[in-house]
Amino acid sequence: MQGYIYPNEFELQWGLLIVLYPYITGLVAGAFILASLERVFNVREVQPTYRLALLTALAFLLVAPLPLQAHLGHPERSYEIFMTPNKRSAMAMFGFVYAWYLTVVLLLEIWFDYRRDFVRWARESRGIRRWLYYGLTLGATDVSPRAVAFDESAGRWITVIGIPSAFLLHGYVGFIFGSIKANPWWSSVLMPVVFLFSAMVSGIALVLFLYMLTTMFRWRKIDMTCLEKLAQFLFYALVVDFSLEALDFIHRLYEAEESIQILAQMVENRLFLSLIVLQLLFGTLIPLGLLAVFSPGLRKGGFVRASAELKQLVFLTSAVLIQIGIFSIRWNVVIGGQLFSKSLRGLTVYKAQLLGIEGIGVTLALLALPFVILWVLVKIMPPWSDEPAETGSNAPEQPATA
Amino acid sequence: MPQQVPRLIAVFVIAIGTLVLARRFLVPETFGEFGHYRGAAVDSIAARPVKFAGRQACAPCHGSIDAQRLAGHHRDLACEICHGPAASHASAPLSGKPEIRRERALCLLCHAFDPSRPTGFPQVDSVTHNTRIPCMTCHAPHAPEPPVTPRECSACHGGIDRQKAVSHHATLRCTTCHDAPESHRQNPRAVLPTKPTDRAFCGGCHSGMPPGGLIPQVDLERHGQPYLCWQCHYPHFPEAGI
Repeated sequence: MQGYIYPNEFELQWGLLIVLYPYITGLVAGAFILASLERVFNVREVQPTYRLALLTALAFLLVAPLPLQAHLGHPERSYEIFMTPNKRSAMAMFGFVYAWYLTVVLLLEIWFDYRRDFVRWARESRGIRRWLYYGLTLGATDVSPRAVAFDESAGRWITVIGIPSAFLLHGYVGFIFGSIKANPWWSSVLMPVVFLFSAMVSGIALVLFLYMLTTMFRWRKIDMTCLEKLAQFLFYALVVDFSLEALDFIHRLYEAEESIQILAQMVENRLFLSLIVLQLLFGTLIPLGLLAVFSPGLRKGGFVRASAELKQLVFLTSAVLIQIGIFSIRWNVVIGGQLFSKSLRGLTVYKAQLLGIEGIGVTLALLALPFVILWVLVKIMPPWSDEPAETGSNAPEQPATA
Repeated sequence: MPQQVPRLIAVFVIAIGTLVLARRFLVPETFGEFGHYRGAAVDSIAARPVKFAGRQACAPCHGSIDAQRLAGHHRDLACEICHGPAASHASAPLSGKPEIRRERALCLLCHAFDPSRPTGFPQVDSVTHNTRIPCMTCHAPHAPEPPVTPRECSACHGGIDRQKAVSHHATLRCTTCHDAPESHRQNPRAVLPTKPTDRAFCGGCHSGMPPGGLIPQVDLERHGQPYLCWQCHYPHFPEAGI
């Protein structure tokens, strides 16, 4: 502790789990927006990641409420936000934002996209899998060209609805922080927009990472056209995100409200590692530089002629660094907003627990859970076909060696 | 109509119907009667058995102890804060005697060092302060007094002392700015030390010398009127800024 703080500010009320919540919802929104690139904006190059992005969004969305449940306790009461909704509370409306996004957007889009495959797999499988796939078709087994065309058309419309919904989901999380007018670190109209673009960055980086990893573990050749397009969009999203963060920062400095001195002290001391080193240097500037040089964002083929392996390594490194950076952003917002006193005269400290319901152990488990769910989803609903992709400069597939 | 549409409509109707039906059964009847909560909760809470008797119930039988407590520093504490709920004991004194807790953890709930506690409030570092010895060995819980009156201000004002030690005011003694009468040591809450009451006091060092020296100088006539210096500058850590 340093300086003067009020008695109720000594301990932080929101810890690691609340850092995790916006991080996970950001990944959901980002992954979905990436999927919409192929569907709505017709970016055919990223088609190999379309289904993977949708399943990733679903796996993370299923885990998104768990940090809140663990933080609040009494998960058995959580249904009450549906039973007795408090329309005057943004936080209490989470259940409806979540339910809308899960059921009307994500599940519907996945269902329309997979329905033809569900029918095919139901016919090809036996035993319990056959019934599982049949159940997933909801009994709609018509795969005539007309029915499939309807799936395609409905899927596109849902994606069109889904984009503003994804903006709503993560913009809403930013809104919760941005609307807390008593906290100068949070209170900013830019907060929902910054959250949104950082979500897009983290979602694209995650899908890029997963696409490379799953392709390598399946002993397939990575589609470089797809990868470079992903890196290109990642670069653009990162540029916009960085610009917005910089705008927010410059605006605060120029406005120089009475809180600026304590916030400057907090950034220089308490948040130096997480903000200056991890968020700015490792999470933004280094990936920005790497992607500017190697991705086709600024120049076709990048500024440096590099082998496919080197580019893959660079893009993978950038994706991992970006994940660290985005997690640091969430940390800096959530923890940073509670480190300084409302007296603007002192700073407190936050020490994360190792064990316990709000500890590092639970956080890591919740962070690992979406990957387990994704693995199960991929086993049930493989997002890739083993035939060569229809688009892009795909090299011939290597036979599976395992 | 494509085959998918009626199936999906059916799924959504079932889901929304379940929600509506669940609301019918699960939302309490009196919900929203007075506000965003179950109206009948007020009655059900009022109907719960009373566990606390209140301090007035203790005095008739334990008059001498109560008088001792009222004269000491624990005069604002109710008996049941330390002894636990005693309604059953008050109604049937021979059964269900209140507990007498001797462990240090109970006292440390209030007296463990915590920088956010009010300055001057008696606090100890439980790791270094007579570890393993129950507090009541040295301090009578009904009339607590420190066995030895502290000589240094830092004994009670540790947070301020540590803060000042790393500030530009490190070399100033507490008594430079505060006049602490001897009775403050015996009765710290009743007799408070003084604070500077005019701007000229700080001006003794911070005004009237040529600028550019080690001590920051201000024009007292123009700077920060009509406030006292310590209303804006925290004297124990002046470099913290305004």
